[in-house]
Amino acid sequence: MFKREIYRKILIYALTFLFAFPLLILILWAFSGQWPWPNLFAESFTLEGWKYFIDPANGALESLATSVIIGAAVTFITLVISIPAGKAMGLYNFPGKGAVKILVLAPLIVPPLAVTMGIHINFMLLGLADKLIGVILVHLIPTLPYSIRIMTHTFEGLGDKFEAQARVLGAGTIQRFIHVTLPLISPGLFSAGILVFIISFSQYLLTFLIGGGRIITFTMLLFPLVNSGDRMLAAVYSLVFIVSALIFTLLMERVLVNPKQKTDHFYI
Amino acid sequence: MFKFRFNKWYPYLLLSPALIVLLLLFLGGVILGLSQSLGYFPVLGLEDPTFKYYLEVWSSTEFLHSLAFSLFISFVSASLTTVIGVFFAYQLLKMRNENKIINFLYKLPIIVPHIIASLMIFLILTQSGILSRFAYHLGIIDEIAQFPRLVFDKNGFGIIAAYLWKQIPFVVLMVYTVLKQINGSFEAAAKNLGASESQVFREIYLPLTAPSIASAFIIIFAFSLGSFEIPYLLGPTYPQTLSVLAYKNYISLDLTQRPYTMVIAMSLTMITVILIIIYRKILSLISRYHID
Amino acid sequence: MKKTIVILIVAVLIFSLPAAAEVLEKSWDEILNEADGKTVNFYMFGGDRRINNWVDTFVADNLKEEYNIHVHRVPMGPDDYLNKLLGEKQIGRETGSIDLLWINGENFKIAKENELLFGPFAEKLPNFNKYIDKDSKSVTHDFGYPTEGYEAPYGKAQFTFIYDSAKTAEAPSDFAGLTAWIKDNPGKFTYAALPDFTSSAFVRHVIYNTCGGYEQFYDMGEAEFKRTIQPAMEYLKEIEPYLWREGESYPATQAQLDNLYADGEVWMTMGYHPTKAAGEIEKGNFPESSRSFVIEEGTISNTHFLAIPFNAPQKEAALVAANFLLSFEAQYDKMIPANWGDFTVLDTEKLSEKQKNKFKNIDLGKATLPLEELEAHRVPEIPAKWVPIIEEIWSKEVAR
Repeated sequence: MFKREIYRKILIYALTFLFAFPLLILILWAFSGQWPWPNLFAESFTLEGWKYFIDPANGALESLATSVIIGAAVTFITLVISIPAGKAMGLYNFPGKGAVKILVLAPLIVPPLAVTMGIHINFMLLGLADKLIGVILVHLIPTLPYSIRIMTHTFEGLGDKFEAQARVLGAGTIQRFIHVTLPLISPGLFSAGILVFIISFSQYLLTFLIGGGRIITFTMLLFPLVNSGDRMLAAVYSLVFIVSALIFTLLMERVLVNPKQKTDHFYI
Repeated sequence: MFKFRFNKWYPYLLLSPALIVLLLLFLGGVILGLSQSLGYFPVLGLEDPTFKYYLEVWSSTEFLHSLAFSLFISFVSASLTTVIGVFFAYQLLKMRNENKIINFLYKLPIIVPHIIASLMIFLILTQSGILSRFAYHLGIIDEIAQFPRLVFDKNGFGIIAAYLWKQIPFVVLMVYTVLKQINGSFEAAAKNLGASESQVFREIYLPLTAPSIASAFIIIFAFSLGSFEIPYLLGPTYPQTLSVLAYKNYISLDLTQRPYTMVIAMSLTMITVILIIIYRKILSLISRYHID
Repeated sequence: MKKTIVILIVAVLIFSLPAAAEVLEKSWDEILNEADGKTVNFYMFGGDRRINNWVDTFVADNLKEEYNIHVHRVPMGPDDYLNKLLGEKQIGRETGSIDLLWINGENFKIAKENELLFGPFAEKLPNFNKYIDKDSKSVTHDFGYPTEGYEAPYGKAQFTFIYDSAKTAEAPSDFAGLTAWIKDNPGKFTYAALPDFTSSAFVRHVIYNTCGGYEQFYDMGEAEFKRTIQPAMEYLKEIEPYLWREGESYPATQAQLDNLYADGEVWMTMGYHPTKAAGEIEKGNFPESSRSFVIEEGTISNTHFLAIPFNAPQKEAALVAANFLLSFEAQYDKMIPANWGDFTVLDTEKLSEKQKNKFKNIDLGKATLPLEELEAHRVPEIPAKWVPIIEEIWSKEVAR
């Protein structure tokens, strides 16, 4: 029995290491000056990449802010849409529910490339291209399915008894929503919010096509760096990205999640 | 009093914002793409719907090679991801003590975008990368060129590796969540009756998690099929995956060629739609075993 | 009262004239006035950190200080911005989002043919009239295609090969020598996948040297062209087994090829800027032993330009920015290898002694070939229209 436990531990540690190891490499590259093959460690260390990042002339911080703003807007809009949608899908049965289910799942599976290329010209005609609002709108496509799905499962798990009880006790609609529903669905909101923000934050192709170079998100700066093989700078920007995402996740967790409710259940 | 909530239109009302967005943006995009692929593109002056673009693209060797390449990569990566992911999730379940660090670390790839995942895989697997340097110091190779070609290769090894890194944690998360909810007394009972570890896994856990596993497999398969960044950054010059092919076509400077691009994009869409259908079929088959 | 009415009428008339013609009618002072406080969205290829930095610092700082113009550099190259402009032209979008473009060659030709450009504006720029030899073929024609004032010269480039003198004692001196070197050093040479700008030029060198020279291509039909360049494709297929990865894959971008070179995976690379090796050595990327070489038969030299889209929202500001980039200060600063190392387009005849000396005294670095040698081994580009065709044929025949 013990042996098995040890093998298991080793296996899990090994696998987890495989997932964390690449990030370590990123950290090494972010500070390396000259690092020719076959050295295991860089010949020199430098903060040049970080100085470049902070330099306002390069617009990196500005693009980070843009990404955060877009992410926040997308998250807000998605959650506002998904709460009623999740309630409908989770608590009611109605004709056409199956079709709606497919419609919600479809954007997860149909390549966003296809959809975006299709609406691009129309966005241009509507004056939405090259604008922040256009990018926000197009980000809704890959994010809504996840948040609707999560909120649906949340409401399913919750049931409608709580609301019914509150109504019986005389609570008004808004009161019910704020004091009963909202706290109960907050773990789901948290899951959905995090996921939606990360997806929006990570978007490249959609922002590139619809943003037309005018809306510069952080990934728009990151992609050419990775493509060009400027390894040190790409590593720096990558680390900034990951740290930003982590900070946001932790922030959201602080704000939204009731510590007593902390579970590993992600409702996905 | 107007019993609003029992109005049969109430659920539709709740759904309306979501439906508006999904129908206009998503479905609209798909329909527009479809009509463009059929040659109907009034803005460009193309007004006669035709199948000729489909015929041309589907019979071109470039398209067929890309199709095969995409399907191969997605299938291999999705299969490996699912197998390894389920295995890892099961091991996690069986760990005696919950390790907070492990719980945090293995989820990291989920928040890392594809672009960065590509960079990392590149830094590790390329011929002048970390693994190669280790190989040199271990005496396995003497020269850069001796290290095997793991990125930009015609088998998409690097691409598959990147997908694996990115998607296994996702599967683990999905499956582990479901595994945790399974009543532990099933296993206790089975063990009591003399079942072995592998029997417990095969007869109890596997059937109960099968829908989630199938779900995960399909989502990953479809997603990697349409994914752009990783194959663009780590793929060979030829063949390219369908998504990269579509993109390269899209930015070509002859707008009248646009229908060809949309054909590629629509072909991708059709394949994924077929996948959804297969998924539903499999799901209904598996649900026979699903204990609610 | 009468005066006010007249002024009002004139104002109304002025504002109702089509915008483009109006800009070109203005005096330079009016243009400067109009440009004050505006933003120029400068779309240019963003893969070179040094060039990006030069635009973001020297250019942006000076334009801000002298003209109160804010420069917003967008890292989008011709492939993508032309696509954008084509789409906008199609739907009739009169106010776009791009003000200034970095462009040349076949991209200029596509832009001009599709009426994507504003102009002719070159003669409007004071510095153009002051410093540029307007009759020079490298100003009136771009890859053999007439510019007609729709683009203003920006810099000069000449294709050079870069090699590591620590790995290769003596650089090949001619094309045959290069071929022999490739075969003698299997796996140590490659070029980026077309349609990368630099490797596309490399393939043109192959064409010049295997198909009978460049002059013939000025007057040729398409079918004949395709036939004539066949020997070049054969050559490229012939050397494939001796290339990096046996030609199974080509580096996706020139930057990636440079990385291979910096890592020592390959022993040669290439570039459009003669000062590239010097600049990279200084940055610490290339080994100190890197040197440049050209071949006896000559390497391709060309000019790159600035243009303004038809629907640029800030045409006046774009003109002022373009004019600044043609100033002595900008051209001089641009040529310093640590900044960019791009050669100047200013006509030496039109420079003062002091200015001439300043250019002469720029230290181009050990790794850069002397100007005389570069000039002695120079060949022009072939007509722009052939470039996409070459790229297409390469894709079909060699890439597979």
